[in-house]
Amino acid sequence: MTDPARLNRRQLLGLGVSGGSSLLLGGCALNGFSETVGNATQPLNERIEALMQGKGPVPLFRREQVDPKDLLVNSFNGVPRLDPARYRLRVDGLVGRPLSLDLPALAALPQHELVMRHVCVEGWAAIVAWSGVRLADVLALAGISSLGGYLAIDSADQYFETWDIASALHPQTLLATAMNGAPLPAANGAPVRIATPIKLGYKLSKWVTGLKVMASLTERRGTWEDQGYEWFAGL
Amino acid sequence: MPEAPARATIRLRHSPLWTRAFHSFNLLVLLVMAASGLQIYNANPVFGGRGGATVPELLTLGGWLAGGRDWHFGFMGLYALNLGVWIALLIGQRRRKLGNTGDLGTLKASQNKAKRRLSAHRLVYTLMLILLAFGLITGLAMYKPAQFWWLSGLFSFGEAFGATSWQTLRVAHFATIPAIGLLMLTHVLLSWRIGGLRLLRSMFA
Repeated sequence: MTDPARLNRRQLLGLGVSGGSSLLLGGCALNGFSETVGNATQPLNERIEALMQGKGPVPLFRREQVDPKDLLVNSFNGVPRLDPARYRLRVDGLVGRPLSLDLPALAALPQHELVMRHVCVEGWAAIVAWSGVRLADVLALAGISSLGGYLAIDSADQYFETWDIASALHPQTLLATAMNGAPLPAANGAPVRIATPIKLGYKLSKWVTGLKVMASLTERRGTWEDQGYEWFAGL
Repeated sequence: MPEAPARATIRLRHSPLWTRAFHSFNLLVLLVMAASGLQIYNANPVFGGRGGATVPELLTLGGWLAGGRDWHFGFMGLYALNLGVWIALLIGQRRRKLGNTGDLGTLKASQNKAKRRLSAHRLVYTLMLILLAFGLITGLAMYKPAQFWWLSGLFSFGEAFGATSWQTLRVAHFATIPAIGLLMLTHVLLSWRIGGLRLLRSMFA
């Protein structure tokens, strides 16, 4: 007579080995489902994020907490060199007065400084002092339509971003022209980049050349978003 | 066979279906969170930063950073829900299942092996819940550092040792993997001592 306990132990060991290995191998097979999992859960996550973001300001840091070496540089297409004299920021789409602003025009607007935590999707973060004008001020200058729900941001290196308008109008969302008290270095987006404590780093376009107010999102939602990154990316 | 032959013929008593399902689901969620977390880890290693040593791909889930985030943030809700239900269930039976200072005394003084095992197990359960909650809190503090600024701010104690609060958070969040791994190992070993294969089968088969 076979001993059922022993038989089961063998079966169990077999199960354990096959189960364990299928878990490891299955890990690779499961990678194909990442997007499905993301698509199933992101809409709810994003809705909660947008609800919780609130309109108020995020607490900032002290200037002495800035550590310049913490800020790593990511670029998807090298570092474009823009001539400050010929630089123009285009603002169009659903606005009353389409604009083409040069750097003195931006410098004439009220300037703000943010000592904020800059968080990269990769996991690192750095405390940086960004300064410049409020994106909301520039959009107000252009007379943004109440139909505008989204903002498309073009960059000189062909990087592309789209934002929800509430995040773009947040009082701590800046078009930054300076970093840690000095003019913006080329690698960090000179002459104009986006800075805000409420979004992940890949939403903070560098070398910004164009802003377009849109009623809805188009096929292209962003350079990295189209590859699979989250669109809202709120912090 | 060390076991009495008569016992082998006794029909296996399964734990209730919902207990088994909950237990296995817990294990699955933890594995997904750990593997997808390690995938995120690899985008910028907590230890060493850019260029630091990465975790073998075999242990990761997602294929690349965005895939890892899909899984991690896709399952975080299940993780939180699971943990909440688990804590609620255990609090309901806290006298029997959760550790207390008396268990520490038992471990120190008692000669009764069964009693010592029970005490050890209760402490492991309790520690595990605390650690899982800690994993959730440190995770939230990094997922939404602007919304939960007060939570992320709690970790600025690391600044006294020259670490930014962010690095402290990253290390703390990562540390939940080895810590829970260790507790899980203790839990399995203790369960094995208590019920051996029969207990294992009653939970999984």
